[in-house]
Amino acid sequence: MSSVTVDHVSPGQGQGHDHGHDDHHHAIPSGWRRWLFATNHKDIGTMYLIFSFIMLLEGGTLALLLRTELFEPGLQFFQPELFNQFTTMHGIIMVFGAIMPSFVGFANWMIPMQIGASDMAFARMNNFSFWLLPVAATMLTISFFVPGGATAAGWTLYAPLSAQMGPGMDLAIFAIHLMGASSIMGAINVIVTVLNMRAPGMTLMKMPMFCWTWLITAFLLIAVMPVLAAAITMVLTDRHFGTGFFNAAAGGDPVLYQHVFWFFGHPEVYIMILPAFGIVSAIVPAFSRKKLFGYASMVYATSAIAVLSFIVWAHHMFTTGMPVTGQLYFMYATMLISIPTGVKVFNWVATMWRGSMTFETPMLFSVGFIFVFTMGGFTGLILSVAPIDIQVHDTYYVVAHFHYVLVAGSLFALFAGAYYWVPKWTGRMYNEKLAKWHFWMTLISFNITFFPMHFLGLAGMPRRYADYAAQFTTFHQMATIGAFWFGLSQLLFLYTILRCYRGKGEVAAAKPWEGAEGLEWTVPSPAPFHTFETPPEVK
Amino acid sequence: MTPEQRRRNRITGLILLAIVLAIFAWIFFRGPATLGGVAIN
Repeated sequence: MSSVTVDHVSPGQGQGHDHGHDDHHHAIPSGWRRWLFATNHKDIGTMYLIFSFIMLLEGGTLALLLRTELFEPGLQFFQPELFNQFTTMHGIIMVFGAIMPSFVGFANWMIPMQIGASDMAFARMNNFSFWLLPVAATMLTISFFVPGGATAAGWTLYAPLSAQMGPGMDLAIFAIHLMGASSIMGAINVIVTVLNMRAPGMTLMKMPMFCWTWLITAFLLIAVMPVLAAAITMVLTDRHFGTGFFNAAAGGDPVLYQHVFWFFGHPEVYIMILPAFGIVSAIVPAFSRKKLFGYASMVYATSAIAVLSFIVWAHHMFTTGMPVTGQLYFMYATMLISIPTGVKVFNWVATMWRGSMTFETPMLFSVGFIFVFTMGGFTGLILSVAPIDIQVHDTYYVVAHFHYVLVAGSLFALFAGAYYWVPKWTGRMYNEKLAKWHFWMTLISFNITFFPMHFLGLAGMPRRYADYAAQFTTFHQMATIGAFWFGLSQLLFLYTILRCYRGKGEVAAAKPWEGAEGLEWTVPSPAPFHTFETPPEVK
Repeated sequence: MTPEQRRRNRITGLILLAIVLAIFAWIFFRGPATLGGVAIN
């Protein structure tokens, strides 16, 4: 069971200043030192969230530049070389700079409060793992201005192309190393915190689903980030130190890179979606006013997804010429993932079934997530069929599929989580009307942007092309209009959240959502600087 | 955090770090040979 009964914590009691410790320990630092030397999990969580939103804007701007060029056939604004740089950097920034750090931000804010811990296990390492990110982001951004420009090998950095590019490629490799190191440190912190620092009585099977999904995600990170690090280190040594890992002329194998990369790359997809499952699993019960249906099966389904994610990597490589037996294996193994994923979707719907539902913005985004993410899941199932994948490989069908998973999946859940927990973070309720406008604009513009891409892909439009045949114009123009609408809609989110941070809006109660459960709602809003210095007793 | 908790955290963290380093080293030094490449043997 996930529900917890807290023995002796009442609203306000979880804060730190009521324990009589010395003031030096409890003093809240101020000014720039508070942020540069931050060791408090809430401050670090806030920095992660701000950083990831800035990267979302940077990656989004690159996407809008791509869509601007694609508004009409022919080359209007950018040469194909620069277009490829935009494509590559959009992918790298969104994956490593926006989505992953934002979930780490949520983990920092919520995991200690949800398990009744005073902070993350390694507070200084937490600080270090955050501050690596702005350095990496700066390296990525300045790579546009080095000779040859930024890397243009696609976010997958496939060899041998990546072994041949200019210094922008080296900057990208170093930046990804830093971001990978940051992720590994964040994962170690999450695992140690969850395993060793839970409040008395908070057994693993009483933990909120968000903690469970993050624990499993952290193990995935530990297992696959070193694989990515090794792959790009091999590219680096091929480029500068005379090795021939991926150079056929030197006895190496370019396809080896794809195997190693996708051994990281497929679990990476789940790294970006499992915490989203956790957020939705917190919100759906809260606004259905019911307990989460099938808590244990949710835990097992999440674990099953994680395990299966390690044995399906070559479904990204059906066109590289693998034996039919290999294709069959990877096809059926990939299809298997739909079973635990189906369990989760079933459980969310069953939680809502006959619930006393209300549709505040976190719930709207969660329901939107379930509906639109499931569409992305279905196109994934279609892509797992090897003969179909061979036809639509590297077309816009694939672009549509993974944006349905990562935007309607990860990003919608992030918005849902932000609206759900922002009263706890800021002590203020967001403006419900503006937030609902944000939801509907986002949902509609998202589908206008990405739904036509299915048709483009089925008709043969290849991805990563700056130009296209005239027959694709209408769908591309729809996508471009939708993309600008989607981008502008996010300014509403920024405004709505900033209002809360600036102290505008209704004062939030300790537990602003009637159906919400968990330790985080036992502390006041905004959450005090120190919480649970005396661990709560969970029954 | 109690000293005992710190000690357990440190041990768990070091075990996880060792796993990370082992995976990196195996992929870099043995992965290519095992997966069919011959760049380093």
